Amino acid sequence: MPESIPAPLIIDTLKDTFREARAALAAEVAEPPRHSHLGWILSVPDTHQKTVLAALDKEEAIRVVTCATEDEATALAGGLYIGGEPCVLMIQHAGLYASVNTLRGVAMDGRIPLFYMIGLLSRERDKDPRESRHSMVRYSEPLLDTFGVPHARLEGPDDVHLIPEYYRLSRARRGPAVVLVGLETS
Amino acid sequence: MLMKPEDVLRLIAAQRGSAICVPTMTTAPAWRSIAPDDLSVTCVGFMGGASALGLGLALARPDHRVLVLDGDGSLLMQLGSLATVAGAAPRNLVHFLFKNGVYHTSGSQGIPGGLTVDFAMMAKGAGYALACVIHDLEEFRRRLPGLLATEGPVFVELHTGLAEQTPMTAPGSAPFHQQVQDLRVKLLKPRART
Repeated sequence: MPESIPAPLIIDTLKDTFREARAALAAEVAEPPRHSHLGWILSVPDTHQKTVLAALDKEEAIRVVTCATEDEATALAGGLYIGGEPCVLMIQHAGLYASVNTLRGVAMDGRIPLFYMIGLLSRERDKDPRESRHSMVRYSEPLLDTFGVPHARLEGPDDVHLIPEYYRLSRARRGPAVVLVGLETS
Repeated sequence: MLMKPEDVLRLIAAQRGSAICVPTMTTAPAWRSIAPDDLSVTCVGFMGGASALGLGLALARPDHRVLVLDGDGSLLMQLGSLATVAGAAPRNLVHFLFKNGVYHTSGSQGIPGGLTVDFAMMAKGAGYALACVIHDLEEFRRRLPGLLATEGPVFVELHTGLAEQTPMTAPGSAPFHQQVQDLRVKLLKPRART
């Protein structure tokens, strides 16, 4: 059975992921950007990840940009990548559906590594998401499969290692990679 | 008389300094020929994304000014980006809007609301530090240095005619992924592999 993941665990994992990303960039380039923060969260607020977003409000090491739409968040992430800044997109499955064209244009055609954490709002605890009675939950993974976007499920605290792994995967394949947040964070 | 987009772009090119530029749609072909070697990346393949792409660059690189060369039809596709830009408050972003009232690239169909849409007022209402409207090339020439030096985000609504070329009549720009890689290399300067 899936378990809820505490927000502090996710935030610590994000910090480690950003530190690793900055170290990797510094090893590769002569002029990495110099900022006092570790990285960026681009968010269109997601009910499923609201405890993480609330905790991020108090974090100085991670900057949060709230976007009006997921299209904007995706294009914004592209600009950050070109400029050398690490970021994570935190959105909801409905926002994935809404921004598929921009995901295709930026992350696939543009070969820009984008890492998404996508909340599966209304996912039933006792059902595989592909068998959900909610279409937004049920079609999330098939949609990602259609576009060839690698994805994994965060089903509990033991799965947070997937965050840096899929972040690295997005860099390695120079495209999108997704972790689906199975239950509301705590 | 409406300003020619190419004349406006030449003035911007002459004064941009080390600014990163983000053209889109009908500003793209002209910009390619006017400023072929500058720090730029064209928003192509995700219409409406120029302002957010520019915002990302502006936040990543506060050591550069970022100039977004947007279109009115494009901006309408992600109009919420006005609030997103204003909320993020990048001091180094100048958002130029080339307003012609039509979707020139797809055949000059009118945009919703046509020329009556007041984008500068919307940008001001969203929270841009400065928003203005310019109708005349001489006025633009006179005000441009100040606009490029003002703490942003700055929004400039430019009343222009149609560009001579569109991405449909003048294809041949480098693929988006190549533009992305080229600009990233110019900004970050990868170390030579030994």
